[in-house]
Amino acid sequence: MSKSGMLYVDKDTLFHRMDGAAKLIVFAVWTVIVFLFQDLRVFVPLFAIGLILLFLAQIPYKRIRLLVWIMVVFNLFNSIFTLLITPSYGSEVTGTATVVLDLGYNVLTLETCFYVLTLTMKYMSLMPITVLFIFTTHPTRFASSLNRIGVPYKIAYAFNIAFRYVPDLQTEFRNISNAMQARGMGFGKGEGSMRDRVKHFISIAIPLVQSSLHRIEVVSNAMDLRGFGRHQKRTWYSATAWRRADYIIAALSVVAILAAIAVRLSGFGRFWYPFS
Amino acid sequence: MTEPIISFKNFSFQYRSLSEPTLKDINLDIFPGEKILIAGPSGSGKSTLAHCINGLIPFTYTGTISGEYQLKGKRPDELSIFEISRTVGTILQDQDGQFIGLSVGEDVAFAYENECMPTSDMKARVESALGVVDMLPYMEHSPHDLSGGQKQRVSLAGVLSMDVDVLLFDEPLANLDPASGKHAMELMEELHQQHKQTMIIIEHRVEDVLEQPIDRIIVMSEGRIAAVGTPDELLASSVMHEHGLREPLYISALKYAGVRFQAEDHPSKLTELSRRADVQEKLRTWLDDGDRGMNIETAAPLVSMKQVRFSYDGEEDVIQGLSLDIGQGERIALLGNNGAGKSTLSHLLTGIVKPSAGEIYFRDERINKWSIRRRGKHIGYVMQNPNHMITQQMIKDEIALGLRMKGLPTDVVQEKVEETLRICGLYGYRDWPITALSYGQKKRVTIASILAMEPELMILDEPTAGQDYKHYTEFMDFIVDLADRGMSFLFITHDMHLALEYTDRAFVLHDGACIAQGETSNVLTNVAAIQQANLKETSLGVLAREAAIDAPEAFVRRFIQHERKGRRS
Repeated sequence: MSKSGMLYVDKDTLFHRMDGAAKLIVFAVWTVIVFLFQDLRVFVPLFAIGLILLFLAQIPYKRIRLLVWIMVVFNLFNSIFTLLITPSYGSEVTGTATVVLDLGYNVLTLETCFYVLTLTMKYMSLMPITVLFIFTTHPTRFASSLNRIGVPYKIAYAFNIAFRYVPDLQTEFRNISNAMQARGMGFGKGEGSMRDRVKHFISIAIPLVQSSLHRIEVVSNAMDLRGFGRHQKRTWYSATAWRRADYIIAALSVVAILAAIAVRLSGFGRFWYPFS
Repeated sequence: MTEPIISFKNFSFQYRSLSEPTLKDINLDIFPGEKILIAGPSGSGKSTLAHCINGLIPFTYTGTISGEYQLKGKRPDELSIFEISRTVGTILQDQDGQFIGLSVGEDVAFAYENECMPTSDMKARVESALGVVDMLPYMEHSPHDLSGGQKQRVSLAGVLSMDVDVLLFDEPLANLDPASGKHAMELMEELHQQHKQTMIIIEHRVEDVLEQPIDRIIVMSEGRIAAVGTPDELLASSVMHEHGLREPLYISALKYAGVRFQAEDHPSKLTELSRRADVQEKLRTWLDDGDRGMNIETAAPLVSMKQVRFSYDGEEDVIQGLSLDIGQGERIALLGNNGAGKSTLSHLLTGIVKPSAGEIYFRDERINKWSIRRRGKHIGYVMQNPNHMITQQMIKDEIALGLRMKGLPTDVVQEKVEETLRICGLYGYRDWPITALSYGQKKRVTIASILAMEPELMILDEPTAGQDYKHYTEFMDFIVDLADRGMSFLFITHDMHLALEYTDRAFVLHDGACIAQGETSNVLTNVAAIQQANLKETSLGVLAREAAIDAPEAFVRRFIQHERKGRRS
């Protein structure tokens, strides 16, 4: 977590300069394309492009390490369980069966292995762009651009506030758990039975929720006292105007999604298996 | 005479959830351009009065109102909270809560945004507002990079940006270290000189507010206005003392020394009195009356730190080779500015962080590697914010929590809980839900919950924050009793009064190193160390110097002896 308490990393690159709404469009189009296809020949290039973009955004790896690892581990588990639970699913899709291993209850087929690889790459191709979006979008600027594309400003502002207070909540959690440990509550290994430890974690939720509620009261009073919600509209101090780059990228995104739909409708992009 | 800007007539208010009115029979006129201090112990209704003025009552907190309140000749129900907010600007006590934007500039612009001002006009207005409070270089900074005092300045700029007629400060000194508090008061006076807005300051730290000119003080007590007058009038009387407020220390000292003064003697100005020969004479006689010197016996160390170093990032040491002994039954004040390393030091003692070099001993055992839990049996830690510690619904259960964790039998737990409740003056509340308590009462509950575990050393982080003088005195007296029974205390505090009156030794931290330590009265009259650590010289020291007394620390000691004798008898 940064000292500023935000996920946002301040740098001056194309992605940082891009308007939040334009970025949201890119992100949405990217996601839709990924879910339209089931073809490794689409995912690998997307993943590669994503990585290059991520590299260009100059986000220090240290900052995104945790998120990347969470995604990788999730992906691994997903793959392993798919292989174990439905080891011959790939064959149902292709109609061919090349047995790799006899698991006893079922057989693992090469088709399934390839299917899982495709699935993994599908999720992996979303990873760079997600990280890029989260770490290069300033919460308030994002809120202001959401507001401009038609989202009511109260909802847009809620995003901003959420981003603002999540890191504070983490600090608070640590404080409370320290205080509880000093009073003899066990959270770690060997400090009580599993049941007790879980119970202890749950008991922290109470002060955490209470302090959040208190904070909400204070913040909402502070906002009221400074005129939030007075008018139907509001302006934004950190509003960014759409530049030429934003229009071009948005236009390219629209072209890309239309092209992808056309390609998909022509029949390309179902599960691709090269060895049949 | 001009029309009052704020006018209460026979005004009462009762929160919907409470059975008794919080404000009773308020009659008060505040005129444009006045600078007013509203003082009173916690629960006196001063915050509720502030809510009435800024419109949170009746718009956010509902209840029954009787009588009349008018703001600029209008009743609040004829207005909206937004219209009120254009007349009354509030600076909240909780600066973190008040800080809404993600950067300084954005936060100041918040009100402009809500007024739909075009973005291009905002920048210039934000710059000029930040210029007024001297925060312009910080425009792009995020709130996490700012100190409490700086956050308050930003809040002030945000409110100033609205061109309000009334500035309302809700406990502006509560979270500031002494020197920052002093700066805040100076800035407020400067603004008042320039813009002549009406200023209303809600605060129970009377002495700190009175360092700058105030037109009138309103003393609140039990929901009523107990007294109204100029600082000179009220200081010459005993009304503050009677209503559980701490009068300035130098005023108490003068009164103890038998100096008589009236409002005409201008007691609000220390030097007016200290220069008078008759006053100096009385002070000297009083000083000579006292028994000389206080001998501190050096107790065997209970906890000691030897050359401890600590760093969060492995590069910069936050604690730089610190050595400290805490004797059995000692009461020690740990003083220092925000960011000096006070919290880190307490984290080192409680095991939340481990030293990167050096040793920590408990009695004769090295405890560097002990877990938080293991140390918790001997070293109790009461955090500043009670909401970080409370996990149970009922007071009884909260206090029993640590004892149950120890696995004590039910009847023993019950017995200890009841005893602790009695000692802490919470017995009457034992079956109350914790949510029904005030901040100060919650703080007591957290202290009680640690006390019940009978640690040998108790670390209290800002124990008096949010407590008024009356409760604080009761509470601290009770801690003195515990210390006499052999328990040790380490107070992390900004409160000079607390250090002075209740601790034997003081320890001043600055940039992770100790810059002064020794007997508290000596440390607090060490002007160089005090300035370096962003503390403030007490008015006792100033009085002694101004009255040409040779040994200010002896004068301070004399004062403490007098107070302790007064309390014990």
